[in-house]
Amino acid sequence: MSEDPTRRDLLGKVARGTVLAALGGAAGFLVKKAHGQIVWQVDVSRCINSRLGETAAEACNLCTTECVVALSAVRAVNEYFKCGRCNICPAYFNITSAVNEQGQPSEKLCPRDAIARKPIGKVDPEDPANNFYEYIIDEEKCDGCGKCVMKCKEPLGLGSITLRIRYDRCVNCNACAISLACPHNALVQLPIDQALQPAEVKRPG
Amino acid sequence: MNGAPQIGGRAWPLAAILVPLILALGAVRSAPAQAIPYQRPVETAPQPDAIGGGYKVPPVQKPLPRDYWLQVLDVVALAAAMGVSVWLVLRRRNRKWLMALTIGSLAYFGFYRQGCICPIGSLQNVVVGLADPRYSIPIVVTATFFLPLAVALFYGRAFCGGVCALGAIQELVVLKPVQVPRRLDRALGLLKYVYLGLAVLFAVKPALARDFLICRFDPFVGFFRRTGAPHMLMIGGAFLVAGMFVGRPYCRYLCPYGGLLTWCARLARRGVTITPDKELDCGLCAEACPYGAIEEMRAVRRKCLYCARCYSACPRDGERAHAKTELIRLSGAAPS
Repeated sequence: MSEDPTRRDLLGKVARGTVLAALGGAAGFLVKKAHGQIVWQVDVSRCINSRLGETAAEACNLCTTECVVALSAVRAVNEYFKCGRCNICPAYFNITSAVNEQGQPSEKLCPRDAIARKPIGKVDPEDPANNFYEYIIDEEKCDGCGKCVMKCKEPLGLGSITLRIRYDRCVNCNACAISLACPHNALVQLPIDQALQPAEVKRPG
Repeated sequence: MNGAPQIGGRAWPLAAILVPLILALGAVRSAPAQAIPYQRPVETAPQPDAIGGGYKVPPVQKPLPRDYWLQVLDVVALAAAMGVSVWLVLRRRNRKWLMALTIGSLAYFGFYRQGCICPIGSLQNVVVGLADPRYSIPIVVTATFFLPLAVALFYGRAFCGGVCALGAIQELVVLKPVQVPRRLDRALGLLKYVYLGLAVLFAVKPALARDFLICRFDPFVGFFRRTGAPHMLMIGGAFLVAGMFVGRPYCRYLCPYGGLLTWCARLARRGVTITPDKELDCGLCAEACPYGAIEEMRAVRRKCLYCARCYSACPRDGERAHAKTELIRLSGAAPS
């Protein structure tokens, strides 16, 4: 307290300047090596629901249960250009359910009824089995439980449905809660442009 | 063709799944349940020319992350809120409007932005960005981290009052705060440096062992997102209940970013002041301060959380005093 006020001011100024310079330096360093956005994405070659050779009866639903946002940021996406557009889709129907009068399985597979089916192209009403069908997933309804993903792959399907991340919902946690829970380390961080590419399941090894 | 044996090979696992399922279903249901002997009808996806009828492949929905300009806007909002906080507290000395700012910040940074991104958590990303040559962070995160520190260097912890969502939710539950004994307060205050050290230690680990403790043990983010692990919601609730009687316990004793702000605020050029030439030594301000930031009738910048309670409690300053002088002015009498 006995210090000369002007000297105190000067010391304060020097200290403030030093800290400010240090902060500025650190910020400059970080800005210099800054990149675009890095986001989480599902590595579909690791995800047990889409990985080839996995035919477990129950799909893994950790993406639904572990995500920190209320309706999981993970949902199933049908890459339409890869879809077989089958009459009896193993991801749309529960193909182990009883057959109804139309010759279709009587139950749907999706527990949230998020998949819509409609005939497309040149429709022959006499021959429904040989028409093509479009399967559109309502991504607002889907919670990423993975049931359809597990069915739409060899040997039953073509593997057009995979789990992907909705970036309007994902809060991009530092440590994604699903990634911590996933037993196959299927959640990876990628630059945004890579993460938006269509999913491609690569054969392991 | 060598396709045939492959298909035969594929059918095996299918049969292995279907047969027991069908048997199980048959056993449960009395109705004649019959499964479709499913065979994949196509080997490759039919394309528009095969489908015919002018069919077009629909585009796949790809919801994009928040636009970049909106992220920049968040940083601008952060800077603006701190500016308003400084102006309201240092210039206007007004608690009422500061409360409005607090509620606004809680609504936007807390409930709307769901607690992300925040300067407190960005601390870890900054540490990793500095330590790991292969890790880098977006510029908005860098700005989010450094802005409140720079402000603290000049004006004290303006970020803590009225801007920080974690602080705001605690600020609003302060009900009947007790004065924590000075020694206990100081000892507990050291906890935040321990937490800061741990957070840095876990963040600089190699990529796979890395952990973000501050985010993982954020007690209030579960409320902001209206969902969360039950144990963290319970801890958050406990903090809020404790916060009714001990002002802002997380900010004072645990917040690692608060530890950094404390050091910057020590060097601050300006801050909340108890004006010496007006004061009565009545001690009402010290009693009103839930954070023990008024020692010997002086505001301590490293502890002051910019809540402006001292002003509103002051008989010679703040809203009450202004109302009084206004009343005197209107009544035409000369102010005493």
